[in-house]
Amino acid sequence: MQPILKVNLTTGNTAEYIIPVEWERDYLGGASLAARLLYPFLTTELDPFSPESPLLFLNGPLSGTAGPTVGRFVVCGKSPATGLWAESNCGGFWGPELRFCGYDGLWITGKAERPVYIWLNDGKLEIRDAAAVWGKDTYESQSIIKSEIGVPGTHVLTIGQAGENGVLFAGLLCDHGRAAGRTGLGAIAGSKNLKAIAVKGTKKIPLARPELFAPLRSTANRALKEDNLSHVFHDLGTASVADYADYLGAMPKKYFHSGTFEGVEKVSGSTMAETILAGTSACHACVIACGRVVRLEDGTKRKGPEYETIVSFGPNLLNDDLAAITRLGELCDRYGMDTISAGGTIGLAFHLFEKGVITKKDTAGLVLHWGDVKAVEQLLHLTARHEGIGNYLAQGSKRFGQHFEAEEEAVQVNGLEVAYHDPRGFSGMALVYATSPRGACHNQSEYFVVDMGQADSSLGLEFYDRHAGAEKAANVARHQDWQTVFNSLVMCIFANVPVETVLALINSACGLDWGVEDLFCAGERAWNLKRAINNHLGLTRANDKLPKALLEPYQDGGSAGYVPPITEMLEAYYTARGWDPETGKPTPEKLVELGLEWVAQDIWK
Amino acid sequence: MASIFPSFEWLEDLSKKLNSDTKYARIARNWEGDLCVVIEPSGPLTEQQLYYLDLWHGKCRKTEILKDLSSVQPKFVLTATYDNISRIMKGELNPMQAMMTRKLQVRGSMAYMMRNVPTVLDFVRCAREVTTEILS
Repeated sequence: MQPILKVNLTTGNTAEYIIPVEWERDYLGGASLAARLLYPFLTTELDPFSPESPLLFLNGPLSGTAGPTVGRFVVCGKSPATGLWAESNCGGFWGPELRFCGYDGLWITGKAERPVYIWLNDGKLEIRDAAAVWGKDTYESQSIIKSEIGVPGTHVLTIGQAGENGVLFAGLLCDHGRAAGRTGLGAIAGSKNLKAIAVKGTKKIPLARPELFAPLRSTANRALKEDNLSHVFHDLGTASVADYADYLGAMPKKYFHSGTFEGVEKVSGSTMAETILAGTSACHACVIACGRVVRLEDGTKRKGPEYETIVSFGPNLLNDDLAAITRLGELCDRYGMDTISAGGTIGLAFHLFEKGVITKKDTAGLVLHWGDVKAVEQLLHLTARHEGIGNYLAQGSKRFGQHFEAEEEAVQVNGLEVAYHDPRGFSGMALVYATSPRGACHNQSEYFVVDMGQADSSLGLEFYDRHAGAEKAANVARHQDWQTVFNSLVMCIFANVPVETVLALINSACGLDWGVEDLFCAGERAWNLKRAINNHLGLTRANDKLPKALLEPYQDGGSAGYVPPITEMLEAYYTARGWDPETGKPTPEKLVELGLEWVAQDIWK
Repeated sequence: MASIFPSFEWLEDLSKKLNSDTKYARIARNWEGDLCVVIEPSGPLTEQQLYYLDLWHGKCRKTEILKDLSSVQPKFVLTATYDNISRIMKGELNPMQAMMTRKLQVRGSMAYMMRNVPTVLDFVRCAREVTTEILS
């Protein structure tokens, strides 16, 4: 791999960091390599908003090539929302452009005296004054910085006002509306007075065996383009799954408290395709193009919402207005806020208002009635600006619940709001949410697609009933390992690429001669390393749990009456993982097996 | 009904089943569209076979074995090898799993398909229930 460029914003100093070859081999890149690089720095004492707090932007060995859906990069650090491992990956073109600059990553520490942005032009880095864009939203910021730089092809990754104001679910956006939304990494950038990073490069991406890689990626892209799921995502976006998820009772409504919602069919990917869809958008070298471009009543083309945003501001809040969902999603993008956490935290506010826990006294007169889009919009403004009740919303649902002495009502795990794939519809998601290294995340394993049918035997996955229990624990663990490989490459999880193709691409790009099980071992190693980081940060078995709402059965809908047997599932999961059932830590034997002896010495001392 | 899959008799039996099954009639009551199942040769099947069904509001209006797709423009074309489609018919392979793991290719309106997955799955249930013998 290429070097990582370290930048200290306090001093303005930069230095190239050469990644040890054995780390490239053991972790490949992306979030896995980031975990290895950051391990020594993510301590319990580290304040995520301190100058010492690292913010690592990292690509993978396939990022920026013309391989299948490998235009992604990842941002990692210590989450201000969870106090645990933070990672959030992002599409678009920014990550590849960083590699074209001759660097595989940027490692930011320190704090600038005043707002700045970084301009990396091939190998030359400047730290520039950001006074003109501080206070601007992400769309304005990208536009102004591009105009100021004046170099065609420049890509800008930026925070919005939410990141500047320390909203704990602030993210970073590039290429208009591509977001690294989760775990509050945008707030870390804001704490460093870092508004944006602009990149433009011209260098070639190094490949160990380019003569093998070129035909492989061509074949892989052709096959991916013909795949059923690629057609579905291209035609309908990620919300393609909405109708079926609703039928199965796997799409949450009314903040995870209702199994049905009359207007749900009005907000699906199919409905969008038949009404407001005006085009598609794609990330670097992607043959799928799941991004939506829609045209609303004002005639303007704008980014259309993907599944999570649709459910977050739609059925989750009992809103069936697709245009309103689009506008609320855009508002979040402009402020630089994660739509899952924003809608989740606002959902909690509506839920507590209905229960009488919070009243108009708390909301400065605002009435929170389900489906009231104007109230949602108002709460988003207050959140981004840290005004009124927004002061508490900006801290996410766990802290919001704590403030109103109703933490148990918050649908979150370890401080991260649950994504919109209900474990009562797909039981595998119970384990995924309870054990994900960054809180209730669906991108560490989108096991709901396996529960739906994507149980690929070539991956060693078996197909279990969507309501099966402990018997699927080992399957979930294996899928997590596989997705961890994706998150190290960094490959889009929507790409239905056969394992032998992924393996061949990695081998040719990295000069390896691995077999399939070597890939899974790399995934398992990184999964355990992230677990150890979290153990180090105080996570125990007691953290592996689901919120109360997810353990109460729906009264209606496609999963009525079912709750996942999480206790039995976790028991089986620890066994499958080789984790100590008392502490939840990976056993010393498991760590040694994965080549992590040094971790065993650390977390078991 | 006891006919070998794949055969004209099997297709006729499937049509009768679709026109008499109350569950299918209920689930597929809004379905409007014909489909063609293309079975690619593998295993004991040596030639491609195309089975056409015109499905409308929970009923099967017409069936036909086609030589090719030149005479029809079906709303959906489902393509699989004989080995994979016979595994689906025998209940060894879930149709969603087949679609999501590159064993069954689906072409047509994805918006319509994703909105009507339960109908498609119940169609497969009916097909399985008339399949008592498989070409081997």
